[in-house]
Amino acid sequence: MTPVIETGGLTKRYRRVTALSECTISVPQGRISALVGPNGAGKTTLLRLLAGLATPTAGRAAVLGGAPRQDPAFLAEIGFLAQEIPLYRRMTTEDHIGIGAHLNPRWDGESARARLGDLKIPLDRPVGTLSGGQRAQVALALTLAKRPQVLLLDEPVAALDPLARRHFLATLADAVAEGGLTVILSSHLVADIERTCDHLILLASSRVQLCGDVEDLLSEHRVLVGPRKDTTAIERDHTVVQADRTARQTTLLVRLNGPVITGPEWEAGDVTLEDLVLGYMGADADPATGELATVGGLR
Amino acid sequence: MTWVIWRQYRVTTAIAVAILAAFAVVLLITGLQDATRWHNALASCGKTNTCGTLAQTVSLGSGPVNTLVVLTLIVPILFGMFGGGPAVARERETGTMQYAWTQSVTRWHWLSAKAGWLLLAGAVFGGLVAGIVTWWSGPVNALNQGQFQPGSFDVQGIVPIGYAVFAVALGIAAGALIGRSLPALAVTGGVFLALRLIVTYWVREHFMPAVTTVYSVTQNLSLNGATWTLAQGTVLPSGQFTTNLSVGPGHVVSGPTGPQVPAACQAATSINATITCMARLGYHSFATYQPGYRFWPFQFIETGTFVALAAALIAVTFLVVRRRDA
Repeated sequence: MTPVIETGGLTKRYRRVTALSECTISVPQGRISALVGPNGAGKTTLLRLLAGLATPTAGRAAVLGGAPRQDPAFLAEIGFLAQEIPLYRRMTTEDHIGIGAHLNPRWDGESARARLGDLKIPLDRPVGTLSGGQRAQVALALTLAKRPQVLLLDEPVAALDPLARRHFLATLADAVAEGGLTVILSSHLVADIERTCDHLILLASSRVQLCGDVEDLLSEHRVLVGPRKDTTAIERDHTVVQADRTARQTTLLVRLNGPVITGPEWEAGDVTLEDLVLGYMGADADPATGELATVGGLR
Repeated sequence: MTWVIWRQYRVTTAIAVAILAAFAVVLLITGLQDATRWHNALASCGKTNTCGTLAQTVSLGSGPVNTLVVLTLIVPILFGMFGGGPAVARERETGTMQYAWTQSVTRWHWLSAKAGWLLLAGAVFGGLVAGIVTWWSGPVNALNQGQFQPGSFDVQGIVPIGYAVFAVALGIAAGALIGRSLPALAVTGGVFLALRLIVTYWVREHFMPAVTTVYSVTQNLSLNGATWTLAQGTVLPSGQFTTNLSVGPGHVVSGPTGPQVPAACQAATSINATITCMARLGYHSFATYQPGYRFWPFQFIETGTFVALAAALIAVTFLVVRRRDA
């Protein structure tokens, strides 16, 4: 099956800063993909390139089989929610539903009303007077009412309290369960990702570090705990993502390139999503900062 | 898009319509009063044969209303700053552009609709204000023949439409280029004002070659219609034209520098003797002017210029909106 979202060598430079470098990813249909990375890693840039709000400096992006472009038929398939949740603050939710009805071919205003009604969010108040959580819900409902095939959400839950966050992600999961929807959701809250997402894209320093189904990624990695000693043998067989050495033991996050064959002094354990995310993000951190020594060798 | 734009601008439109209505009422009442006074004056001067000097004996309008009419000069600038300026800039600044541009309409469609309606609104409102002012000025124009003068020319006829369209286009373009409302407002106001002043005081008079007439220093200048006099002065016996010396019935005024009354005429007993003496020595008066019948050609040239500039600005805006990221 061809992926719904695919990029190759996608690069975006602003004057001097490279926001995204040689980004190659692929997201199959029906996934909820978590786009993870530290601040400034290029998450927003990637989402904006995919939505057609920004144009790449180099490389290519394909969404639903074509480059993001100024074409009503393409735009109709994309749901985009920017980080700052921009809505017309003086207009009511009902006004926004009206705008959507006038600007989109398949508009499901009723579903938005029903969804927001369930959450007891008033439709007749200016959006600017709603709370941050309510505004995010309104924006998500509007984005879903467009009935897109691809949903690009930029840190939609960052500003929400834990309860609102759970509501929001539940709404999203319901929408995906209805079928036909592929989502990329940027976030830096691992707990939310673990509950909602089945695909992961990890960006750091404007580069892709990981991209794949969460299950596959977890099975490809192991945590090895062993004595403090030479790890050359392991590094020869596998890719050490991160090494954490204390006086008594060494903890390695490795990407397996084959079966794990180590001496009895090493103990291999499964990784969690959090291990993976923090491991790769840590690997990217400045090696000079303390004990968190890193060994390169990213793919 | 039309519905969306109406929803975005309906409050602004209502305010503009209310102000326009109040303005129309004031000018309608005072305009009717002026028309009555003008017709009465015409009727009575016809009986006494004093219609030639009517401009000295009758005055029309009143201080506050005349000021109001002059103030319509700023109508286009208001449209440019508060209609055009935020159109693109505000959406960029608040991020709503990302919302608007991810609906199922292209940026071109979005901009065409937005710019189109704003330009149309500018043209219609500018045209209505100008129409009311032109109607109101009818008696004043007939009496004073001043409609070609800078200040009057700029609020009557069709030029206000050109100004309004240009100001709106300038606001939209400045907003698209700068991306923030407040600086866009400032730039719109500044550029519009500068360009209007330059055109009014340095460019307009060259739309068509001015006419120069030379006449005797013993006569007054008499030109028919609403002429726009650009320069008046004296032709010296050498054939040189100077505005530093003005000679006419009952007056001789010379500047601190430049030509003076010739020594041969300074001993004359009266001012009229001096003038007669100068006429004998070969002094003439001259006037350079745009004839009154050029009022409408000038209106069309100036309107066309501003509309063409507006079109160029809108073209720039389309390029910016297509190229730039949201």
